[in-house]
Amino acid sequence: MDPLFTWIEATSLSTWLRESPSLWAFPFVLILHTVGLAFFVGVNVAWDVRVLGFSVGIPLDALRRYFLVMWAGFWINAVSGVLLLIAYPTKALTNPLFYAKLLLIGVGIVFAVRIRRQIQGPGSGTRDSGLESTTQGTNVPPLARVLAAASLACWIAVIFAGRLLAYTCTRLTVDSTC
Amino acid sequence: MYLRSTPQGEFLRTARWGWPIFESLHFIGMSMLLGTVGVFDLRLLGFARRIPIAALHRLIPIGISGFAINLITGFCFLSATPDQYLFNLAFRWKVTFIAIAGLNVMIFYARVFRRLLETPPDTPPPLAARMAGAVSLLAWIGVMSAGRLLTFFRP
Repeated sequence: MDPLFTWIEATSLSTWLRESPSLWAFPFVLILHTVGLAFFVGVNVAWDVRVLGFSVGIPLDALRRYFLVMWAGFWINAVSGVLLLIAYPTKALTNPLFYAKLLLIGVGIVFAVRIRRQIQGPGSGTRDSGLESTTQGTNVPPLARVLAAASLACWIAVIFAGRLLAYTCTRLTVDSTC
Repeated sequence: MYLRSTPQGEFLRTARWGWPIFESLHFIGMSMLLGTVGVFDLRLLGFARRIPIAALHRLIPIGISGFAINLITGFCFLSATPDQYLFNLAFRWKVTFIAIAGLNVMIFYARVFRRLLETPPDTPPPLAARMAGAVSLLAWIGVMSAGRLLTFFRP
């Protein structure tokens, strides 16, 4: 992998992100990654606690609009994450924890999508069928609750994995250690 | 300095995984805060109007818990290396943004909230509510940005 890392680290984008003293370089990308995380994970938290029975007065079908916010957060973090990866490819890709983080994010997204499907009910094509009863929180399928609890645990794990990346890396760039 | 000698400060400086674990908790608290208060702010701005304000407001205790986690972990960071924060421009910005958010919350509960509960769902929120939502969102984004900048403004 080293030739690939060498090549990426030599590109002008990577060099600029790493070495520019401007706050609009690395610091700004980090800010984007943090704000994106807050909205991406935050909306998942709101969904999960609602499905678990917290504040059942929130109509689930109306809460679904917040998926837009969740996906906005996701894309902010996908883009800023790729930029961070371009800045320090060796640092991330030589750390097994980085792959664990990506896997956990994938699992978390699968949970979020499956919870939404559970709430919609199997095969209900129209927006209204089955939703009147879930509005009062009495009809959340048990599987959705299990998924919501697993989802919360998953996002906690993602945050730990992400934060620990800075402390578990062995190589910073191709020719420097962490 | 007194703060440095406190047990929590000592713990964060010496325990191998103390600092990263507390940082992770700080990020979890942040997600709890933005996932509830941020979601509520968007509703104040008129997003997802079909959700009754009172029902969404019931999520706020989770946000307050998140803020409490962050106040505690944040105080521990400050105790561990006080001079890294007290003379740090980004830290001052962060505290200023938290103060703005706090002031905004007080004005919101004193002047806006009760009136807002009487407005039926599906109607556009009054201007004062939209203002409170916008100020809160911007203040918390400011808090997160300043927090992220701390390491770049280290004295």
